[in-house]
Amino acid sequence: MKHDFSELKLDRVTRRFAGAGGKAFNALDELSLTVKRGEFIALLGPSGCGKSTALNCIAGLLGLSGGSIWLDDERLDTLPPEQRGFGMVFQNYALFPHMSVERNVGFGLRMRGASTAAIAPKVERALAMVQLAGQAHKLPGQLSGGQQQRVAIARAIVIEPPLVLMDEPLSNLDAKLRIETRAEIRRIHRELDRATIYVTHDQDEALSLADRIVVMKDGAVQQIAAPPEVYGQPANLAVARFMGYRNVLDLEVSGRDGGEVSLSGGGIALRGVAMQPIEGRRAAVAIRPEEFTVGAPEGANTIAGRVDNVEYSGRDALLDLVTASGTVLHVRGPVSIRRGDEVRVHVPPERVLVYRPD
Amino acid sequence: MAASADTYARPAFDRTLLLVVPAAVFMLLLFVYPFLYGLQLSFRPKEGGLLWNYIHFFTTDNLWPTIGITLKLALPATLINVGLALPIAYKMRVKTRYQRVVTTLLVVPITLGTVLIAEGMLLYFGPKGWLSHFLQLIHLYDGPIRLTHNYWGVLISLVISGFPFAFLLILSYITGIDPVLARAAATLGAGPGAQFRHIYLPLLAPGLAMCFCLAFVQAFSVFPSAVLLGAPAGPTRVISIAAYEAAFEQYDYSLASAIAMVMGFVQLVIVAAVLGMRRVFYRGPVSGGKG
Repeated sequence: MKHDFSELKLDRVTRRFAGAGGKAFNALDELSLTVKRGEFIALLGPSGCGKSTALNCIAGLLGLSGGSIWLDDERLDTLPPEQRGFGMVFQNYALFPHMSVERNVGFGLRMRGASTAAIAPKVERALAMVQLAGQAHKLPGQLSGGQQQRVAIARAIVIEPPLVLMDEPLSNLDAKLRIETRAEIRRIHRELDRATIYVTHDQDEALSLADRIVVMKDGAVQQIAAPPEVYGQPANLAVARFMGYRNVLDLEVSGRDGGEVSLSGGGIALRGVAMQPIEGRRAAVAIRPEEFTVGAPEGANTIAGRVDNVEYSGRDALLDLVTASGTVLHVRGPVSIRRGDEVRVHVPPERVLVYRPD
Repeated sequence: MAASADTYARPAFDRTLLLVVPAAVFMLLLFVYPFLYGLQLSFRPKEGGLLWNYIHFFTTDNLWPTIGITLKLALPATLINVGLALPIAYKMRVKTRYQRVVTTLLVVPITLGTVLIAEGMLLYFGPKGWLSHFLQLIHLYDGPIRLTHNYWGVLISLVISGFPFAFLLILSYITGIDPVLARAAATLGAGPGAQFRHIYLPLLAPGLAMCFCLAFVQAFSVFPSAVLLGAPAGPTRVISIAAYEAAFEQYDYSLASAIAMVMGFVQLVIVAAVLGMRRVFYRGPVSGGKG
């Protein structure tokens, strides 16, 4: 089993499951991805999008229905999980409850036939890396959730795997611990200097951790790009919705000028940038709540409405704005605004993303 | 956590405790009272002093060896049952199309009474039974086949009637173990054998001990099959037969009670030894974290 590599290649990896009524469906549909040494990849998507299926296929816990997996020039998808040598961190930690922290962490090394003398310092180093020195003799049941998760990480990295696979490792932790452990995971990834594939449904986690994000939906890849690109230029409407573009309006196309599109409908007139070739007469615009400026003078790309709901969120507030025709917009605005206020909001054309309607 | 437990406000009396009453009454009337009655009866022999029954049991040539005879049947039967049930239940832990069919087939004998099993075995394993006919037909074994009215008949019947019990018990323990643990072990380099040895076996050990005890107690009190399928005068004269004879042939209830007490004591010793061994194993929750 290798400790180092230059690239992991997923070639049209497909996994079918028998669905309701005996009809097979593709939980994972032709995922192709090349992961370079040193990269941190996040598989992002709503539950049921196939991201965990993809991870289990890479780990060898699920067989492939099609495609292949290569670590450099070695074909992996025909090997059982115990011969792939990847470290995996599970959502519910999956620590062995009958073994001490030390024995849990040393398990992978014991399975590789390492001597007791060789195991002890490695386990010690791994525990130091996740800041759990001094807890070596406790049983998992005696640790807090955050500590258990760090034991799980130590157990996965102590075998010096070329690839660490993480399946929603933070979803069972509370908000504060989640942010702390997130930074920890990023630091460990840097120190190991191998590759990490990280499954999550949380955009913030994916944006803050990953070098590249793979956005998935219904088993298919929607976009593979660096975090700023996924955040700022979602490839399609599904990605935009998932990345926090809460305002999606179905409007009529009234004019095109190169990449710029003019749209109108329901008393709203907007200019925006086409993210996909727009052919039809209708298109969908996607706008983030924080792209609006509240209290703008009358002009292009402004929308007037009455504030119907105010959600206070500290620095600002999330407003529900209802236009004269009844369209609801989600807008971030100053906390001084009250329910019932009449306001006018402006959004710059470059932040109005135009997609084909779905 | 233990310290904070006392600080919870509790009502003075938890009325749900009343739910225990029927079971407690049942135990008192049908177990504790008969047991105590039998115990005091065993110390009131027909003749002689307080311990006469016990002295009689351990000095009479057709009584004390019944302990050994019963153990010689019950221990192997229990070991076979637990030993057979473990690998099969392990194989059946994952849901497959065949799991339900196989499980049902294996469990069917539990619905058969011991007497029914004995009848069937006499027909099948007897000297003129199907098995014997079949083996002679294909000339695999031409000698007479003696699997009834001896030790082996009783042992086979104990396996048939005891196996489903052990199987169901172990299956329920195994399916209680989170399969993610085995998957985690696999990603760490443990093959199927190592997963069983390092994950399943240690987590199952307390359950196996429990299963062994229950199966043993069941086998140790063997009676109908020892009479019907065994040689109740000799090699399968088990301790319950001795107690039966004392009670219903010699009408010496006092001696019968003493034999029953000895029987209970032997069971207790074995059970205590096995459960004592359980202490060395891990006995906590069998899942790997939050889930």
